[in-house]
Amino acid sequence: MSDLVELVASPLGQGFMRRALCAGLALGAAGALVGVFVVQRGLGLVADGLAHASFGGLALGLLLGASPERALWVALPFTLLIALGIQQLRRRTSLGGDAATGVFFAVSFAAGVLLLGLRGPRGGPVNLEALLFGSLLAVTPEALAVVLLVSLAVAALLLRIGPKLAYATFDPELARLSGVPVFGLESLLLATTALFVVVGARTVGVVLVAAFVVIPAATAQLLGRTLGTTLVAAVAMSLAGTGLGLVASYHWNVAPGATIILTLGLFFFLALGLGRRR
Amino acid sequence: MSLALAVRDVTVELGGRRVLEGVSFEVRRGEFAALLGPNGGGKTTLLRAALGLVPLVSGSIEVLGTGPGAAAAAVGYLPQTKAAGTSLPARAADVIVAARRGAWPLRVGAADRERARELLARVGGERLVDSPLRGLSGGELQRVYLARALARDPALLLLDEPFAGLDERGRAEFLELLSGIAERSELAALLVTHSEAAVRRLADRAVLLDRSLQAWGTPEQVFERETARAAAWSGHDHEASRDARCEDDA
Repeated sequence: MSDLVELVASPLGQGFMRRALCAGLALGAAGALVGVFVVQRGLGLVADGLAHASFGGLALGLLLGASPERALWVALPFTLLIALGIQQLRRRTSLGGDAATGVFFAVSFAAGVLLLGLRGPRGGPVNLEALLFGSLLAVTPEALAVVLLVSLAVAALLLRIGPKLAYATFDPELARLSGVPVFGLESLLLATTALFVVVGARTVGVVLVAAFVVIPAATAQLLGRTLGTTLVAAVAMSLAGTGLGLVASYHWNVAPGATIILTLGLFFFLALGLGRRR
Repeated sequence: MSLALAVRDVTVELGGRRVLEGVSFEVRRGEFAALLGPNGGGKTTLLRAALGLVPLVSGSIEVLGTGPGAAAAAVGYLPQTKAAGTSLPARAADVIVAARRGAWPLRVGAADRERARELLARVGGERLVDSPLRGLSGGELQRVYLARALARDPALLLLDEPFAGLDERGRAEFLELLSGIAERSELAALLVTHSEAAVRRLADRAVLLDRSLQAWGTPEQVFERETARAAAWSGHDHEASRDARCEDDA
């Protein structure tokens, strides 16, 4: 028993691991809540698409002379606009969420490459990898504060608007008749998702942020029988997967994103088996 | 007797195409009216206009003495296409509670569940209260959605082709159900259907719609008018084909 406690506690003796755990748990919980609502709308890939699209905004910020850190403040409104563009495309055309996301994702990413090229040699070298892929183990105290603040705001907002959002997802027409602002809530969901993925992707990387949004929500959907139990299951699985994955990464000395995603994936396949037996 | 629905000279265009033109009729409180007509004749559009979901080009619609959107809380609506395939974990009780609250429940408490069970009992679906929507038959789903339409004790019920997709037994059972509802004198209803049997059984009055109003009266009067129209059309076709033959001969 004491060996098990030691196994879990020993990584937490290190400051960077404590920060990684706090950032991972916060982003995991908020991502799971975002995921339940976006996956229900058939927008499971929107987080991945928006995270990649934010590259266009980062590049625009750099072209305007901002530092890589400050370029985030250009990427954020840029990605919000992309999110609203995806919504308009779905609303005004017969395109589904995946096609609309795919178009904006590719165009924004290409625009980012073009804008970085336009900076010319005087702009200095840019580490593309660092720009796109953060690292959970390299979270600074300042970045952790931003992550905690954004995660808390995202979770509070979604728990408040969630019941109306879910009704609008299930039957937009009847929800509208009941006075639910369907379009406004959908816009708010996409804007919240954009905020979450821009901050999350810069901190822990595009792939992990997209995984936080999709995998726990998809897993919980296989198990949950009500909206409430689905939300609780998604958050619980995300927290457990983040904790176990991070501890495993420490002891095996491998990238934490991989072990966290694989743990979340393991939960998904276990739930799939359990769901089939029920 | 006051009016539940007053449609006055209503014209509606969708995508630049005129779908309704100068339509006028009324449904009194306590009256069960049927809306008949061919596919594409504007029946569903009229229901949606009455709910405030479709803008009018001209004319007006008064629902329970007020504008279409304002009376939505007092109108029960059974749409033609029903949501059942979303990935939201939805049980019958959730659907009914959501309609009452205007928000999806995180959990359904004992009092809400009991109210949902009572509503489902009115439509013969009491045992469905905890059932997930996925896996319900067409007839069972229809009962759940009828219970939802009744969830806010409506004064006007708008039913869009409730027999569509049901087998013969399901149609007969659902007709019985609606018949029971029609007997409640305080509730007005407008039923879109292609079923002549349903109209003869349920409706006090009928409206025949084919973009414009073709007939309005008792079901017998409207069916007579429809038969005459059909005969006129078949005569028209006969004349047209004879003219075409004459042209060919020439």
